[in-house]
This record gives sequence, structure tokens and C-alpha cells, in this order.
Amino acid sequence: MLAELAPPPTTSNRLKTTAMNNRMVTAYWDDLFAAKDNGKLVCWYEGVAINPLLQAMDISWCHGEAWSALLAAKKEEQPALLASEERGYGRELCSYARTHLGTGILRERGQIPGSPDHEHIAGRAPAPDLIISAYPYCSTGQQWDEMLFRLFGKRVPVFNITLPYIWGNGSSHAYMQGEEFEDAVKFLTRQLRECVTFIEGVTGRKFDWDRLSEIMSYTKKAGELRLEAMRMCKARPAPATFFEWSISIAPVNFLSAGPEIVEYFEKLNAEIAGRVASGTGSVPREKYRLFWDGIMNWGKLGWMAEKFSGYDACMVAGRYTHMGFWQEPQVIDVDDPLEGMARNYLTCPINHSAPYMIDRITELCEFYEIDGLVMHGARTCRAFSNPQFLIAQEVSKRLGVKIAMIEGDMIDPSFYKDELVNSRVEAMLEAIDARRGLI
Amino acid sequence: MTLYAMGVDFGSMTAKAVIVDAERDVVAAEVVDKGVLIEEGAEIAMAQALASAGLRQDDIAATISTGYGRRKLDVAQRTITEITCHARGAHHLFPEARMVIDIGGQDSKVIVVDEAGHVQQFAMNDRCAAGTGQFMQVLARALDVELDEVGPLSLEGDDAIVISAMCTTFAETEVISLRAQGHSKPDILAAVMESITKRTMGLIARVGKRSPIAMTGGVARNIGVVRALERRLGEPLLIAQTPQIAGALGAALFALDDARRGIRLPPLEPSFRGEADRLVEPGGKGGCSRISTPV
Repeated sequence: MLAELAPPPTTSNRLKTTAMNNRMVTAYWDDLFAAKDNGKLVCWYEGVAINPLLQAMDISWCHGEAWSALLAAKKEEQPALLASEERGYGRELCSYARTHLGTGILRERGQIPGSPDHEHIAGRAPAPDLIISAYPYCSTGQQWDEMLFRLFGKRVPVFNITLPYIWGNGSSHAYMQGEEFEDAVKFLTRQLRECVTFIEGVTGRKFDWDRLSEIMSYTKKAGELRLEAMRMCKARPAPATFFEWSISIAPVNFLSAGPEIVEYFEKLNAEIAGRVASGTGSVPREKYRLFWDGIMNWGKLGWMAEKFSGYDACMVAGRYTHMGFWQEPQVIDVDDPLEGMARNYLTCPINHSAPYMIDRITELCEFYEIDGLVMHGARTCRAFSNPQFLIAQEVSKRLGVKIAMIEGDMIDPSFYKDELVNSRVEAMLEAIDARRGLI
Repeated sequence: MTLYAMGVDFGSMTAKAVIVDAERDVVAAEVVDKGVLIEEGAEIAMAQALASAGLRQDDIAATISTGYGRRKLDVAQRTITEITCHARGAHHLFPEARMVIDIGGQDSKVIVVDEAGHVQQFAMNDRCAAGTGQFMQVLARALDVELDEVGPLSLEGDDAIVISAMCTTFAETEVISLRAQGHSKPDILAAVMESITKRTMGLIARVGKRSPIAMTGGVARNIGVVRALERRLGEPLLIAQTPQIAGALGAALFALDDARRGIRLPPLEPSFRGEADRLVEPGGKGGCSRISTPV
């Protein structure tokens, strides 16, 4: 049992609109838990957001990483992690995968973790009727569906999508352009069409292309509004933080796309615009502006938000939030959305080489006037943390920003050491103060 | 008027207290072998430093604490991390240094400093205490040698053995296993020093090597580690006579800055070096490496 430290005191001034996001997320999970009762098929999938294809065919879905993040946020990841460890999945393996697999193990065993008066959420995920994996640049991700396939007695149909890695910054394979990139788009689009055929086979129904167009029109609009709101956070003090953008990934990632996700970002934009006009910051006494590189530690999202706010440090942007999840809504052609979806999936921030990421992070740091980078090395996601030393060194050299390297994880709390994080973050803030002549 | 400031480094294995006067001269520096787990360690270090300087607590205009136990000291007006304090302390001792290697009781760090002693970048061990003071204690116990003998004994061995797993927890098992295979204590220790050096070189690579390099922290008193590092780096290390006190010294200097600001005294010139030489034995062993009594 890990010792629970007292959480940092609340000092941040969180956006009110995110409460609507929380309601949408809760409603989405409740729908999933009731899927079998409502006669719906359930798909387990991992990786990029292929859920519009499922929504178009009225299939419920459980996104592996979102599911694991939910358990971590509710502090209910341990039964699933233990179940997967008992089966032999070591603790250095991806904790997203271990949590998702552990959930499957518990379900196959018929074990409902928790007590009679509090059933853990891990016991509520309905078993899959189909599995789809679409993981960029991650070897675990590409085997995750294989493991699930075996776990569920090799009786659940599986479809595996391959996403080519976009190497380097050469003219043939640059960000969103070049011959190699265009070839990758064609390759991926073809696979998405095959995935549609797979879904038709499982459901026994013709694919509803009109429904997909409608879904993608909501995602496109929501994505545009989200980018607009993000850009407003150039203001000082910043009206929203990386942590609020982390919460706001759900509507453009795994929630059902409908008018409500557009409404959410309209309201978010209005609140952010109001804050810019009134000079209200998400961190009340913003003294430092930081950039978070790495996946969020989902069990410590609120914790981290308060920790940094307590330091008067605003985490303005991050690689996870500001380089992924529909940064390119303009590529969605609502009349023929598959190609735009392919382009988006290929731009996932772990699917690019360090040179591209360094250039893009440099641009973001310049735009948002960043003082320091917090490099969160997720212990069990080396796909994300592999280039972090290169990114830290090069961005620091270009812009003179200060660096704090911290360790943690997306899900597994045993990798997080609060005092080590404190020392590194405080030392970085002291270095920023020294640069300003304040120490 | 006489102005004094104190820095207290409440580390994992030891507590250190340094008192400086208005001109940055060190008037007392004490090291007590009682770390954060022993509450009174810092109090003893502070009491000894005050006694040594012939001062009372009321004579101290400002106190800053650092180290893992920095937040436990009510007497301190504020805290500063050991990273910033070691950089300041090492820079005060060796203004020419542009990189500081600090290996203390619980962690090891490499800090790039600028000409003013400010931290530019730093890297720290993230996952284990291999190569730190705590590790040395475990190792000494496993080999049944006194802690002070670990360094000199390692110089008698060669590093033909390669040790890859250097987890502190498993060090005892590993060392016992090597002894059972018939390897001598000096050979095992030489291999351990080499392994620690490789880890430190990894930290250096993260931030990019700079020269000259100062070394602080208790492990800087281990001649085996120092010699192995110097061999790898291809240059001598700058090491003070009492390298453990660099963090407390840095804290004391920051406290002095605060005290001078508090009574509106002009800041001292950044290059002012105070009594640094008092803590250094000139022309020590190994060329320019200024070690007085490495053990």
C-alpha cells in the first residue's frame, strides 16, 4: 500500500465550464456500462480515435487509455494492475495496457473488485464483441489487441491498423506534407476502409457514411473552437492551463461526437475570452509560464494543477495537449472524412521524430512565452519519453528556457516520488528567478 | 556592525551548518552524522556552528535551509533547493568551475553553472541511490570494511570485473556473490567505482560536459570515486577540504544576501571569494585536484 500524501492546498482558479466536460464524461461511461443491457455491441480499442467509425454504426466503445485514466483518476487502478501482474505482465510494461488487460482478466475470472457497498469501476466494463488496435510508434500498443484476443479465449474478432512512423524532417516526409507522408496517408486510408468492411462484417449491416459525415462535422467544429481557445491562452495571465486542456481532451478524443461537444467548446471559448478581457488567470498569481512535455499522470491531474499553482507557476501548454487530438481540424472533409482522419492519426505526437518535435515545441514555447519545460518521463511509456533528453537540450539551447526532468507514470502511482518532483521543480523555478535577477 | 548569516543543509545522512560573516568569510562549518530521520541532527549542527563561532542564535540575521529536510526547520526564513545551493557554494569555492558534480547521501546530481554561480541546467539520478553515500555504507558493510577504507582500498584493485546491476538494495547480494567467486575486495571495489563513474558520466551527458568541474558532497571524500571520475573525464576535479558543506555554504551565502538586502547594504561583487581558500588545501594530490584528506 502506498503512503498517501496530503494533497496540495487548492489555490488554482479553474475554469467553470470544465464541470460540463465532467458531466459529459460521466454520462459517456454510464452509457458504456449499460451497453449490453441496451443490446449494443462493445468494441475495445487502443491508440488513435477510431471511435467515429464505431459511433456511426451505433457500437459502444471502451478506449483502453481513457479507461485506464478513469481508473487512475478514481484511484481504482490497483485491482486491475494486480490482476495483470499476477498473469505475468511486469510492472515496467505500459501501465495503460496493464490496467486495460487487468480489467479483462477480472472480467474473465468473474471477479468484481471492491466491497458490496462499493463495487470498483474495474468490474463494470462490458466485455468486448470486437477489438481494434490503431497504435502509432508503440510496440506494446501493436501487441495489446493480440493479448486481449488471447485473454478472451480467441473468440473476439480483431482488426489491427498499422500507422507508419513519420521519420525525420526531410522534404519527402515532413509534417503533413511530402511524398512519403502522402503515401502513408493513402496506406492508412486504405486500412480504414478495410476496417469499415470489418465493422460491417461484425454488425451484419452496411456502413452508415452519412452518420460518419455528421459525426465528423461536430468533431471538426469542436476542434476549430478548441484551437481558437488555446491560442487565447497566449494572454498574461493565461486564462487556462495544460491541466484544463488535459481534461478537455475527452470531447475531441473518446466521447461521442454530437452538438454537445461543440457547445462545450463554445462555452469554454466564451469563458476564456471573458477571462482574457478581465485579466483573470487560471493561476491567480502567475509568475512563471511552463510547458509540460509528456503524458499526464492521470491519478495526479488535480494534484499537479494545485502543486504548480502553489508555486505561482502556470503550465500554459504541453506536447500531449497542444500537438495532438485534432490540431488539424481543417483536414476533415465532412463529405469524405476517412482521408482527413488518416492525416490526423499520423500526426500523433509520438509518431514523429525528435527534429520535428523540437521545432514544434520551440514554436509553442515562443508563442506562449514559456520560461521552463517540465519533462514528465512516464516510466512505462518510453515511446513518449525516448526523445525527451534531446528535446530538453535543444529547446533549452535555442530559447534559454530552464528544464526540470521528473519521473512518474500515466497510471501506476508507484513510480511517482513527490519529494523528488518538488526538488527538481523548485530548482528550475530558482534558476528562472536567478535569470531574472531575483535570487 | 557585524552581520552573520547561516545556511543549514539537512541531508538524508548528515546535517551541515555554515555561518558566514558580512564579508562572506566562513566563521564556522559543522558536519553532524545525523540525517533527516533524526530530528535533532540539524539542531546539533547549528548549535555546534554557533558555539564554534562564539555566537548566539540572536546574532544570526538570516537563516536559509536546504536539503531533503529543508522544510523541517522553523528557524529558517526560507528554503532553497540543494541544487541551487550546491551550485552557489561550489561557485564560491571555485569561481572558475562551470560544472558541479554533487554526490550526497541520497542522490547524485550534475549542475551546469554560469559565471555568476547560477544554475543553467541540471540532471539528477531518478530511480535509485546507486553510487551515493547510502550505497557506500551498504557496500562497506557487505565487504566488512570501514567506510573510510572503501576509497583507498579500491585503488589497489583493477576494474577487470564489470558490474552492471548497481541497485543499492541488491548491492549486498551482488558483492557477496562476487566474494564467493573468489574476487578480492580491492578488485570488487575498483569495479564498483568504475560503475559509479559510468552512471555519473551518463548524467553529465544529459546536460553536456563543461570544464572546469568541481565536486561536492560526501562522496567527493572517496578517493576511489574521485580518481575513477578523473580518469574518465580526462581532467582533475576541484574538491574542497570539506566538500560536504558546499550546500550549507551556498544557503549561508543566499541568507547573507537576504540579510544585506534587509538592512539595505549594497550587494557584494559577484566575484568576491571570501575565505574560500580556507576550505581548500592548495596543490593537493593528483595535479590540480585539490583534495586534502580523501578517504
